Amino acid sequence: MDTEVNDTELAARLRRLDAGAADPAPGFDYQGMLERRVIRETRARRRLVLARGAALAILVALVGASYWRLDDHGAPQPLVRDETAPAREHETEPRIVRADTYLAVAALEDHIASLDDALNVARAYSPRGEEVARLERTRAELLDSYAQVRYAELVSANF
Amino acid sequence: MQRLAEIEIPADELAAARAGDAQARSALFTRVAPPTLAIIRRLVRHGAMADDLLQDTLIAMFEHLGDFRGEAPFGVWVRSIAVSRCLMAFRSPWHRARVALETWTEDTRAATESDGRTSDLIDLDRALAKLSPVTRAVVWLYDVEGWSHDEIARAFERTTSFSKSQLARGHARLRGELRAPMTAALSIPLGSEFDGH
Repeated sequence: MDTEVNDTELAARLRRLDAGAADPAPGFDYQGMLERRVIRETRARRRLVLARGAALAILVALVGASYWRLDDHGAPQPLVRDETAPAREHETEPRIVRADTYLAVAALEDHIASLDDALNVARAYSPRGEEVARLERTRAELLDSYAQVRYAELVSANF
Repeated sequence: MQRLAEIEIPADELAAARAGDAQARSALFTRVAPPTLAIIRRLVRHGAMADDLLQDTLIAMFEHLGDFRGEAPFGVWVRSIAVSRCLMAFRSPWHRARVALETWTEDTRAATESDGRTSDLIDLDRALAKLSPVTRAVVWLYDVEGWSHDEIARAFERTTSFSKSQLARGHARLRGELRAPMTAALSIPLGSEFDGH
């Protein structure tokens, strides 16, 4: 028995499958859609604020550390060691906390990727529209933050 | 089931929705959302992801209502937004990882939710669920939605030979899957049913 289905028959079956299926019910109505949108936008804003905060904190930490090194601790040590030196050294030991930039970078990359998607859609409809300009501004700001975090990472790696 | 491409929206309702009337927008949502979700579910199948894409599609639709010039039927315009959102999701590495992790169980569940269809259609639905998202999208857009290879290639930002090869691969895989239940039925199940005393 020949059970092989040819392309035309396969396409016909697929169309029957489509015609026979019931309409799925969306998990939300119009109002629900608007609420979901607000929630998503709030989350995106929070992620952006967190990423910017993390970038800023790392920058401040690095600038502080650089300042500390340039101030007096970078000066050459005396050749004759004082007996009390170890204790003093211990007292003035810098307290630098190394913050991992992974989360900040990932959040920024995620946000930039979602903005790129939004930009693609917006450009498809109105390439010179107001929304495109707004999204491009936001993207530029994000890229700026991203560059700062990456720079901070670089400086931190060489520190 | 009413197909999205065939859906008709009265001009006054569309005008009111365009003007921002909440009631008209809600009515438009009610008309458009189920068939839009149907096509998204066909391409994506993952429930939560399909809901997110439906949300994105309808938000884009409402935001760009003013850009709709009526050159094509409204449903065709919405369908193009939905398909482009789905393809964007396929391209996103986050979604790819999510699909790789979660698709299998979702697909199996979706395919076994058979609602009074004949067994050959249930088998076909199950076979369709086993295709990769991209291949499934090409097969569905070509065979059911009636897109040409050129249109598919443009949507995927690839060549027409990509579309043709994906279609051929998809058909071959579907044929193989449709043959498989017969072979599977011949094998003796060695599960618990035969172990019980």
